[in-house]
Amino acid sequence: MSNENGRPKAHRLRKHGGDETDADLDSELEMMDKLNMASRLAENNLAKLLDNDKDLLNRVEEIKAQFQDRAKTPFSAEEDVDDIYDADEHGARSRQIMSARSGTGNKEVIPPENFSHVCGEIYRSSFPRPENFEFLRDRLKLKSILVLIPEEYPAENMKFMEETGIKLFQVGMSGNKEPFVNIPSDLLTKALEVVLNPENHPILIHCNRGKHRTGCLVGCIRKLQNWSLTMIFDEYRRFAFPKVRALDQQFIELYDDTGIIKLATENNWLSVEW
Amino acid sequence: MKYIPPLSFAPVVGTDVDLYRSGYPMPLNYSFIKHQLHLKTVIYVGDKDILPEYKAFLEEESIKFHHIPMKSTKDPEIQKEMETVLKLVLDVNNYPILVHSNKGKHRVGVVVGIIRKLLLGWSMTGIYQEYDLFTGGQKGDIDLEYITMFNTSINVPLDRLPDFVNFKNHPNETHEKLAV
Repeated sequence: MSNENGRPKAHRLRKHGGDETDADLDSELEMMDKLNMASRLAENNLAKLLDNDKDLLNRVEEIKAQFQDRAKTPFSAEEDVDDIYDADEHGARSRQIMSARSGTGNKEVIPPENFSHVCGEIYRSSFPRPENFEFLRDRLKLKSILVLIPEEYPAENMKFMEETGIKLFQVGMSGNKEPFVNIPSDLLTKALEVVLNPENHPILIHCNRGKHRTGCLVGCIRKLQNWSLTMIFDEYRRFAFPKVRALDQQFIELYDDTGIIKLATENNWLSVEW
Repeated sequence: MKYIPPLSFAPVVGTDVDLYRSGYPMPLNYSFIKHQLHLKTVIYVGDKDILPEYKAFLEEESIKFHHIPMKSTKDPEIQKEMETVLKLVLDVNNYPILVHSNKGKHRVGVVVGIIRKLLLGWSMTGIYQEYDLFTGGQKGDIDLEYITMFNTSINVPLDRLPDFVNFKNHPNETHEKLAV
């Protein structure tokens, strides 16, 4: 039915035939007929299969429903796995680290992955897990946490924050899933409003991996610090590596900071100190 | 006016004192350093000479410059070199400090790693990650091994220790080793 490249032969004949003859056309038509027949045959067989297997039928219906849902809203394309908080994954990793440390009398503090100091009393990281709580409480002495994911904050983190009186701010944004999903500018302005307010300091900004959304926010802070774009992008890429997104950098470049500059100036939050 | 930070610039400690890291500052970066960092001390761990314009800039800003000629962690004198850096970092009177190498990746990465380990008590995982962040995972095995194995006992004035130093108020083994 098809050649070794998986392409129907009729198509290949037409491409390579040079001057098209009636014979070529005939054989092409013949091939088309065969293809149609084969596909009808396959359909019938599938229908028969599904009639006999209820589980398979349900599964196919499920997939069809998902497919149609997605077709309706093509631009809410699935998020990058890196951008979704996966409680099971984090939980497993956390238990692994905690059990490796228990009983060793190890007094080290464990910063969260992708942790770094941004400026002043502003810090950034990936999603903090229980093994990082001591670091956040005793070393950073956090007053607030700003989380940039839309999902619900996990119970163990909520409990830790209640115990220590750390305030949670949530500005849920989806990552810049290229090329369809963009971070809305007003959400970023809202996030900056939280970050720049000295009343919230020391503050930790985090999303899931601390790469993309956090990187966009930090990039915009750097803009407020008047950094050259080259060095802003250099920093963005360092943290996002190896999953650098051009559109995140585009976002940072195009972000209109007049609103936040106005607000920050009114509140005397500028310039952002080291 | 745009500020252009030097290559691989980042804050290292920003609590009671300010410690920064970067690559070799070039004339484009001077205005950022002058207006944003208000440095008192620069520590250069590297093998290049000081550029005349850089020298002039540091003098003009009355920034104290310490050149520790370090090629890599394989230097025969590496232990001494590292201890010299640590002594400067352990004196609160030297801050704000910028530690820089040429590209701000490997040599500075080692210095920062040792500060994280000995003075801040970070886990090795965190230290490796930070080192990789700046090197992009390039040829770091020897450096990471060096950080892991590094230890020292040096004499520093206790009354001039910065607050961020972890063992300051909790004397323990490291304390005695580092400060007699």
